[in-house]
Amino acid sequence: MPDLDRDSPASTVLEALGFAVFVHDESGALRLSGRPPGWLRSIWPDVNAPAAPLPIDQASPFLENFLVDAGECWSAGGDNRARSGAWIEQAADGTELTLEATALSAGGQAILLLERLGEVFEAKKSMLQKARETVIAYQRLNSEMQKKEILLNCISEEMNAALANVITSLRLIESEKNPARIAQLLSLASRATEEQQTLINKVLNVFAAELEGLRGREGTSMAETKLGDALRAAEENVVPQFAEKGVRLSIANNGLGEARVAMDSTHLTRVLSTLLENGLQRAPVGDEVRLNFGEEPESILIQISENGPPFRKDICANLFSRAGTAAIEPQASQLPLQFCRIAIENCQGEIGYESRKEGGNCFWIRLPRLAATK
Amino acid sequence: MIQKKICLIGTSGVGKTSLVAKFVHSMFSDKYLTTVGVKIDKKTVSVDGAEVMLMIWDLAGDDDYQRLQTSYLRGTSGYLLVADGTRQITLDQAIEIQGRVVEAAGPLPFLLALNKADLVSQWEIDDARTDDLAARGCKSFKTSAKDGAGVEEAFVELGRMVTQSK
Repeated sequence: MPDLDRDSPASTVLEALGFAVFVHDESGALRLSGRPPGWLRSIWPDVNAPAAPLPIDQASPFLENFLVDAGECWSAGGDNRARSGAWIEQAADGTELTLEATALSAGGQAILLLERLGEVFEAKKSMLQKARETVIAYQRLNSEMQKKEILLNCISEEMNAALANVITSLRLIESEKNPARIAQLLSLASRATEEQQTLINKVLNVFAAELEGLRGREGTSMAETKLGDALRAAEENVVPQFAEKGVRLSIANNGLGEARVAMDSTHLTRVLSTLLENGLQRAPVGDEVRLNFGEEPESILIQISENGPPFRKDICANLFSRAGTAAIEPQASQLPLQFCRIAIENCQGEIGYESRKEGGNCFWIRLPRLAATK
Repeated sequence: MIQKKICLIGTSGVGKTSLVAKFVHSMFSDKYLTTVGVKIDKKTVSVDGAEVMLMIWDLAGDDDYQRLQTSYLRGTSGYLLVADGTRQITLDQAIEIQGRVVEAAGPLPFLLALNKADLVSQWEIDDARTDDLAARGCKSFKTSAKDGAGVEEAFVELGRMVTQSK
């Protein structure tokens, strides 16, 4: 095949299509044939003149690697083609160009076509992007579901143990003659029944919140809650427990109660209640749990701190994970820390824990702030 | 200067491109942009007093949509096998891919990078699993392309492994 005349229609068409044509000569050099497209000059400015050689070893490690496959293709001859697959080269101005090389034999000559990939490639890339995002989302969802299954299994085991206590107590009562002993067994059964009820309520609350969350995400516009309302509801939930243990609840009211955050009120109340209960459990008797608000440009920071013993380091690392849930002593209020994280992250917020320098613990959540409603 | 080709291998979305961006350009973006094809970057590292130029081939993720082209492994001195520590399945996939790499390119030095270590609360890979892998000759690093933890260390260690390897 003779070299392409730079002014021939074929050369003009190839240039317009973004192809650069190189002929592999007997010395092993790749020489430009025809008119070089603009992108070629932007990457390899020296490859511009007719028959200019492409300095493969300096120009592109990728092409250098591909020439092995190309060589095999040229040796085989016939209709064989070898495609390099897409690769990225950087132009002098920093622009990234996606290219593909094809080796083929034509007119007894070994040809290397270099093509700048355009719209079709971008469309394929866009589809791959969406497909891969979907796969990742599916894997994450699947993983969360597995964690929930394990959590449910743990809860069921605890409920089963409580039920076994009730049944045993009732059987012993049946055969018991001593009234004092009967009263003791009834008390045991009653306590086990209450434990079981607490666990059942916990499960129901968690799944009700999850269901609401799903509705919120798929349905109407983003949920919003006035911070003060959620806090008041959470405070009402925990006040009796604080009174029982003799721990004060100190809430710093700095005027942010009117601020609106992008989270469902039930979820926020539940998360705040959980974190306050958590603080209560760690706080020494007679001490206090503090709740502070902080204002950030686009979010509200809520910190709940106390002076209790810090969590062990190994627990800190997994505090909001399944492993953390299992590692912390199995108190009912700590069961949903993992769900707190899920609820907060579902509304693009963040949750975290840090041990305080001055002693004690601090849980924090950061929630996206909504603009004030006019 | 010694020049060594290393490849980044793993399934899609594990952060291969982000690791290279952090290591070479000290940059990070939270936005996931899938890699289609190959991108090559270079960086010189100091390994035991010697300068080594790493030619880093960032290969597209291996998944149902695109398979790893083993011809890209030609001439590679070693590879960084990358998994996402918040998705255990990506570690299983990385191990499966590594089997194919060994089949195609033979036993080369490699390191396992368990990426996204900043996402502690979502971490799914326990130490027992990494201990087990280490016992079978698979050394791993926890890396975070976001905060940079372990990134430099992993690349330099791989650089050391490939320069010491015959």
